Amino acid sequence: MSIRQAPALTTHNRKSTMAQQPETRVSATTPRLHVAHLAKTYGSGGKARTVIEDLTFTVDAGEVVCIVGPSGVGKTTLLKCLAGLQPASSGTAAIDGRTISGPPPEMALVFQDYNRSLMPWLTVRKNLVLPLRHLKLPAAELKERCDSALAAVGLSHADNQYPWQLSGGMQQRVAIARALAYRPEILIMDEPFASVDAQTRFDLEDLCLKIRKDFNMTILVVTHDIDEAVYLADRVVVLGSRPARVLRVVEVDLPAPRDQITTRSLPEFARQRTDVLSLIKRPA
Amino acid sequence: MKVSIHPYALSAVGIAGALVIWQILSAANLAGNALPAATTVFATLASILGTGAFWSSLGATLGVALLALAVAAVAGVALGLLVGSFEPVRYATAAVLEFLKPVPPIVILPLAVLVLGPTAEMSFFLVVFGCLLPIVMQTVDGVQGADPVARDTARSYGMGEGEILARVVLPSAMPYIGTAMRVAAPAALVVTVVAGLLGGGPGLGQNIYQAQAAGDYASLYALVIVLGVLGLLFQAATRLAERRVLHWHESYREVVH
Amino acid sequence: MRNLAIRNLVIGTGIPVLLLVAWWFLSANSADPFFPPLETILLRFQELWLFDHFQSDVLLSLGNLFLGFAIAAVAGVALGFATALVPPVRWMIDPLIHFLRGIPPVALVPIFISLIGFGTQMRVTSIALAAFFPTMIATVDGIRSVSNDLMDVARVYRLSRKERVLNVLLPAAMPQIFSGLQVSLQVAFIVMIASEMLGSSQGIGAMTLLAQQSFMAADMWAGILLLGVIGFLVNILFGLLRGKVLSWYIGSRRLARAA
Repeated sequence: MSIRQAPALTTHNRKSTMAQQPETRVSATTPRLHVAHLAKTYGSGGKARTVIEDLTFTVDAGEVVCIVGPSGVGKTTLLKCLAGLQPASSGTAAIDGRTISGPPPEMALVFQDYNRSLMPWLTVRKNLVLPLRHLKLPAAELKERCDSALAAVGLSHADNQYPWQLSGGMQQRVAIARALAYRPEILIMDEPFASVDAQTRFDLEDLCLKIRKDFNMTILVVTHDIDEAVYLADRVVVLGSRPARVLRVVEVDLPAPRDQITTRSLPEFARQRTDVLSLIKRPA
Repeated sequence: MKVSIHPYALSAVGIAGALVIWQILSAANLAGNALPAATTVFATLASILGTGAFWSSLGATLGVALLALAVAAVAGVALGLLVGSFEPVRYATAAVLEFLKPVPPIVILPLAVLVLGPTAEMSFFLVVFGCLLPIVMQTVDGVQGADPVARDTARSYGMGEGEILARVVLPSAMPYIGTAMRVAAPAALVVTVVAGLLGGGPGLGQNIYQAQAAGDYASLYALVIVLGVLGLLFQAATRLAERRVLHWHESYREVVH
Repeated sequence: MRNLAIRNLVIGTGIPVLLLVAWWFLSANSADPFFPPLETILLRFQELWLFDHFQSDVLLSLGNLFLGFAIAAVAGVALGFATALVPPVRWMIDPLIHFLRGIPPVALVPIFISLIGFGTQMRVTSIALAAFFPTMIATVDGIRSVSNDLMDVARVYRLSRKERVLNVLLPAAMPQIFSGLQVSLQVAFIVMIASEMLGSSQGIGAMTLLAQQSFMAADMWAGILLLGVIGFLVNILFGLLRGKVLSWYIGSRRLARAA
């Protein structure tokens, strides 16, 4: 399917997704993503500002994990460390045991600010193609990847338009499609639905769950919306602020498939979100 | 922080390097006597700075440039307000302005010299011609950009047209005018020099022409260095003035089309 | 609404036509040595430029203009990239660049005449050097203002250095590069004329100045007219090119303004 050499990619077979997923989760001994005692301090000496202090958590293969915390807690800093855009001050983040020192090939990132993360001079399709160029894929596969990614986010009709001609929600879907076409094994999203309207937000959340199901991706979502975290996640990592540290990891036990109406009206949903909320609201 | 070399140190290295290369090139005598040594040029510069003739040339250049700039500014803003405020006037002038905009003053230099001769008036005319249009067009843009809500508000408070122009339209056009002045001020200096160099108007431009014609290359280089410094001072001064005048304005504009 | 549009159209085209007609008739029997009849000017225009001196002077001038401008554009963008991406280079040449661009470009022409002589080489060199600075400075500014988010995207998706430069930085900086190119083009045009006026016998500028010095007012007017038309047309061509290359930028700006 892919001529990219990374052996893990060959497991990216959509047909086996459903069968493998539970198995992987149970049998995972080394987690996909392992963050251990990660800390980040900007500046030095008297001006030093510690944004993250000693974060430890794991994400298993095929899992959706949400990170929630009050705004300004340093979530974006954490993501930049995970994506290899910034070095950690101490501690490590590792994928399959390999420490992340630069942007890892098996990872894609969806940025918070869609209108600053898409190339305004490229059409939607060309935005998808840009990260794939250096993979030197055969033309047919390139086209297939873009077509299926655009179809997955429901934007097949818009491939010749420019991002700035689209609505905010559509632009964010383009950013997600770009990540999908890249076929990452781990997808990280930074407040991906923060700047879209409520209805679009629900649609994008369901899109996120569909991606996990269809592409068997490991997904890490940073959000400040507790309902969203509980709705999406298998586990929620609750961060406390300044400097950021893990307050607790909450296992979310809601039945699959999740649905915006039925899932959100479950008493269990209400209980879980209250749990998380009380953790965050608690005076530090 | 691995970088131990300070940026300023590198800047100094850059300037020193350029001077050394200059000195070596002139010593190698590649261009005959047309490339005097850096040391010679700076010695000449020092002696030029001691002459009264230089200072009166400098005075003539600055006098023409600044006076013409002031006239162009006043006339340009007035014309811009006129053109921008009245739609028929805007349409009537659009074609002429659009045609003249990309035409630099050097194009009509022969005409100016023919009519006015190699005089300060000729230089003055060219500078006004060169600076006027950009100021007019920016002012028109500024008037057009004035918030219609602010205008309506002023009207509903019973302000007259004149008062609205002075209190609402002009202030909101100020950043545009500031931008125009930042472009026009160095241009005024450049056009004055061109008028002297090509048209024989008094000032540093004429001195450069004479130095070149007489083969006095050391003076030629010294004068060009003076112009470079002058250009920097003009740019710095306009930047400072603009910041002074427009410090209140949050959308203090940059020239980006 | 409709009446207004018609009125504006009539005024917009009527006034310029009226001005030309007025010039024609007011100057018709002019004996003023400075302001010959428009008819005479147009006649001389046709005799001189269509096409007696077209190849020997007009094409020569335009060739120098475009060659000098092209060299300036390529060198300005390339050196702008080097300066913006390699900080030591920037620290080293920044003060020099700022000093050199403070010099009125036309004042460099006498220096090049003394170094290279009066030939085509001197003219192209003068044009290229003078036009170089606006593009280079705009390129540096353009690259520095590319958003960090865009660069983060490029790094996360592991674009190669070449891709980052050619497919991200270059297009992102393109609007500012074009602003610089526009100024460069104007400077190139001015220096083209100046380099011809300062002691050359060929080219439109030289012929125009020569006509003035020999008090052939109609010839001089014809030269001015041609230079004006060239300045205007070159600017229009540049606008078309900009519209093509930056259509995404112009479109997005228009949309943003409308919102």
